[in-house]
Amino acid sequence: MNGAPQIGGRAWPLAAILVPLILALGAVRSAPAQAIPYQRPVETAPQPDAIGGGYKVPPVQKPLPRDYWLQVLDVVALAAAMGVSVWLVLRRRNRKWLMALTIGSLAYFGFYRQGCICPIGSLQNVVVGLADPRYSIPIVVTATFFLPLAVALFYGRAFCGGVCALGAIQELVVLKPVQVPRRLDRALGLLKYVYLGLAVLFAVKPALARDFLICRFDPFVGFFRRTGAPHMLMIGGAFLVAGMFVGRPYCRYLCPYGGLLTWCARLARRGVTITPDKELDCGLCAEACPYGAIEEMRAVRRKCLYCARCYSACPRDGERAHAKTELIRLSGAAPS
Amino acid sequence: MSEDPTRRDLLGKVARGTVLAALGGAAGFLVKKAHGQIVWQVDVSRCINSRLGETAAEACNLCTTECVVALSAVRAVNEYFKCGRCNICPAYFNITSAVNEQGQPSEKLCPRDAIARKPIGKVDPEDPANNFYEYIIDEEKCDGCGKCVMKCKEPLGLGSITLRIRYDRCVNCNACAISLACPHNALVQLPIDQALQPAEVKRPG
Repeated sequence: MNGAPQIGGRAWPLAAILVPLILALGAVRSAPAQAIPYQRPVETAPQPDAIGGGYKVPPVQKPLPRDYWLQVLDVVALAAAMGVSVWLVLRRRNRKWLMALTIGSLAYFGFYRQGCICPIGSLQNVVVGLADPRYSIPIVVTATFFLPLAVALFYGRAFCGGVCALGAIQELVVLKPVQVPRRLDRALGLLKYVYLGLAVLFAVKPALARDFLICRFDPFVGFFRRTGAPHMLMIGGAFLVAGMFVGRPYCRYLCPYGGLLTWCARLARRGVTITPDKELDCGLCAEACPYGAIEEMRAVRRKCLYCARCYSACPRDGERAHAKTELIRLSGAAPS
Repeated sequence: MSEDPTRRDLLGKVARGTVLAALGGAAGFLVKKAHGQIVWQVDVSRCINSRLGETAAEACNLCTTECVVALSAVRAVNEYFKCGRCNICPAYFNITSAVNEQGQPSEKLCPRDAIARKPIGKVDPEDPANNFYEYIIDEEKCDGCGKCVMKCKEPLGLGSITLRIRYDRCVNCNACAISLACPHNALVQLPIDQALQPAEVKRPG
């Protein structure tokens, strides 16, 4: 048989590992440590008939990815959340319920789904899918990318308010926002197009050199996953601290998908409005807007992030005003 | 502002329609060439822990340390039909540890005690060395450190244990963090049905 020399040949590397190890162990331990002179007892795996006793080979666990219908459900949830966002902001003009939606979206898309998949990151996959003939993306990713853009085309950036997890986590930390000077705001706003360009540039590289910058430098995904590279967690923390004083800095100045939404929102048919026939020119709404989206007493759709703060600050609109009219109605007096 | 409002509306409508058509076209193009799911998997012929001819004393544990989810999505899988079911398993025991009264090595290899051992088939209590043993890996405990994978291959074992990916844990990152760190490019993207096939270590070359 030619098996014997082979086994001898195999024993050599084994001896090469074991001997120094045994020597090392012997040197460290005073107790008589003795290693087993290990020899592989079988050449082939014994099968059930050799094992006997009615033995059955157990199945190997193969945990499957998320079911397809659940992935579709994520897209449906995204569409539904945007629908609710539009309804709450444009129809109900209600910030309280929008906050509830924001927290819900943060919990589901952020912490439960761990920030994946998101329209922002899917931008790269869409770009690669369009550019590389050998790359293609699942339909759910395509839908995730295009739905918020289509909504923005009709109603403005409804995705940004109350739906996007990255936006939601920043929305909740806005504490004492300062008004960023208009010029600085505009200049910083250009950064997102630079980032968009870079992300596209790195994504369309040939397969091995390809890089997904948006995902790699996502500042908040580390929080959603409760783990991450220390430098990215620190950057995320810095964004949140900065976000207490400058409203949603990532959304306004860096988000590449925000850049696309901005352009779609320019063409929007409807959006947040400061109703001309009711207004007092008091400017409370402009002061309340942390995102500088109210210019000359008009909401600017490309900047408006659908937070509904302007309504809740308005003395003649939103919850406060509704409460007032309700009070007047209940007291039986005619409304002024 | 001096523009006729109806003309403004019309222009807006045209622009909106154009953009919508462009978006729809791009989406249609992508949907047309869409495929099923592509997932990450370990190419066991490249992975240094399972690749034949690698007998380094220390296993590579980059799969444990680099994965972006808290407990790595990579874990060791024993393809049971390939397992030698040995009495002294080099992946279960630390075979360089001292021998105890039962004639077995006194230490286990797995740092997380994720492998369970039990005799199977026709068990002869008088002759433990010639019984067969089943080694079940608790995949909830395993973090994919690769120690057992490194031992269960030639010359010591049959190579039934390899590193594989748990798809219930893997978030399918665009750029898998382990793939970026792996010095042997052992993480590859495959269609899901291929990725679920049993691992087969092919000899290089």
